Amino acid sequence: MNQTDRPIANPSVVLREEFDDWAVLFNPDTADAVGTNPVGVAIWKRMDGKRSLEDIVSEIRTSFEDTPDAVFKEIAAFVNILEEKGFVGLELDAKAADA
Amino acid sequence: MQKQQMPEGLQDPAQPAAARVMRSPSSLDLEITARCNLRCRYCYFFNNPAVEYLDLPTDEWLKFFDELGSLGVMSVTLAGGEPFIREDLPLLLAGIVRNRMRFSLLSNGALIGDEIATYIAGTGRCEHVQVSVDGSCAAVHDSCRGKGSFDGAIRGIRTLQRHGIHVAVRVTIHRNNVHDLENIARFLLEDLGLPGFGTNAAGYLGACCANAGDVLLNIEELNEAMASLLRLAAKYPGRISASAGPLAEGRVWRRMEDARAQGQPAFHNGGRLTACGCTNIKIAVRADGAIVPCNMLNHVELGRINRNSLAEIWQHSPVLNQLRSRHSIPLTEFEFCAGCPYVPYCTGNCPGLAYTLTGKVDHPSPDACLRRFLEQGGAIP
Repeated sequence: MNQTDRPIANPSVVLREEFDDWAVLFNPDTADAVGTNPVGVAIWKRMDGKRSLEDIVSEIRTSFEDTPDAVFKEIAAFVNILEEKGFVGLELDAKAADA
Repeated sequence: MQKQQMPEGLQDPAQPAAARVMRSPSSLDLEITARCNLRCRYCYFFNNPAVEYLDLPTDEWLKFFDELGSLGVMSVTLAGGEPFIREDLPLLLAGIVRNRMRFSLLSNGALIGDEIATYIAGTGRCEHVQVSVDGSCAAVHDSCRGKGSFDGAIRGIRTLQRHGIHVAVRVTIHRNNVHDLENIARFLLEDLGLPGFGTNAAGYLGACCANAGDVLLNIEELNEAMASLLRLAAKYPGRISASAGPLAEGRVWRRMEDARAQGQPAFHNGGRLTACGCTNIKIAVRADGAIVPCNMLNHVELGRINRNSLAEIWQHSPVLNQLRSRHSIPLTEFEFCAGCPYVPYCTGNCPGLAYTLTGKVDHPSPDACLRRFLEQGGAIP
């Protein structure tokens, strides 16, 4: 089976949005937690297995002011960290999966 | 369009940006049953006149777990009574797992068999099972917990260990085991091979109130317990913990006395009723479904599960918010603290014990009062 470039959030992970622009992603299978800000939350909510990383970056550029030039690199690094922690995977190619 | 920082700065989740209350509790303490196979002489749970000792049916808990899941609650601690007495425990645990939570269980160990241990291990979500062990042998342990309870506890611990489940032992210190602490530490850490254990002390709550003279430590025994535990904590570094009881008091009182003697400025949490901060993090439910701030404050009913919204109670209950504002009450307001040199370093201690000992929640607890301890002949080791 081939992986796509479309990140998908681990459905077991809990998003706790708190006051003061603060949020926690919690993986109950590992007890691992990651604190993040509203941009991280916006990225998390877009990792649905349908959007590519480029799609997500494009939407973040639209939704937030003053996104830095290195936004793609920064978001890719964020997603990589989540991937390493098991919070995110890559969607499988549907055709390959069917075959 | 929002203006925000990029997400590269992964932050420490234990350090929210401000001290505002979270949108929902991160964890809950749930007394899932009012039944127990033992009747320990110092049990905080039984003989509370404000509590109705009833069990909720499975469906009520499962419905409530769905609400917790929707609120993003991360973990629950299941206690009682004895949680392993519930025949539907696997169903309840499945409901917790389904709602993306982790869990812990507080137990006397006697009802833990291979079947339920296999199930718990298989969930992959168990933080730990805490088993109470109060002695290094049956004669000491059973003196407050009843005949056969030591064998049951050790059998339960060995079953959990065999299934790879993290065991957290709690030793409650009382008059009958205060002379056995050295043996208890050796038994738990060397013979059973546990990584560590926690300690507290029997307190003037529940069933203990009727047995206080036989159970609670007197000043000489408290002196002995503190000295023994501080010595053992040095002998087994990082393996004996306490958030209350003689070990915690010994550590805190040393810091307070050092600060007073050296004329140090007030501690950051000193001089006001800052203990405890649990109401900003978690909340509790009684076996009959009453939502309470804490199981040490079981008489303070905030609502009922599946009838009242937990989020509404958490965010807007005037009683809960009043408890949270306890930290702004200066100790100098209390006659009890008048003239005390330790006020700048004191937190007022447990509100639950304050209530049972003084009838007031918004009052310092006499139970862990350093000045009173010294006046009664106590000495900081």
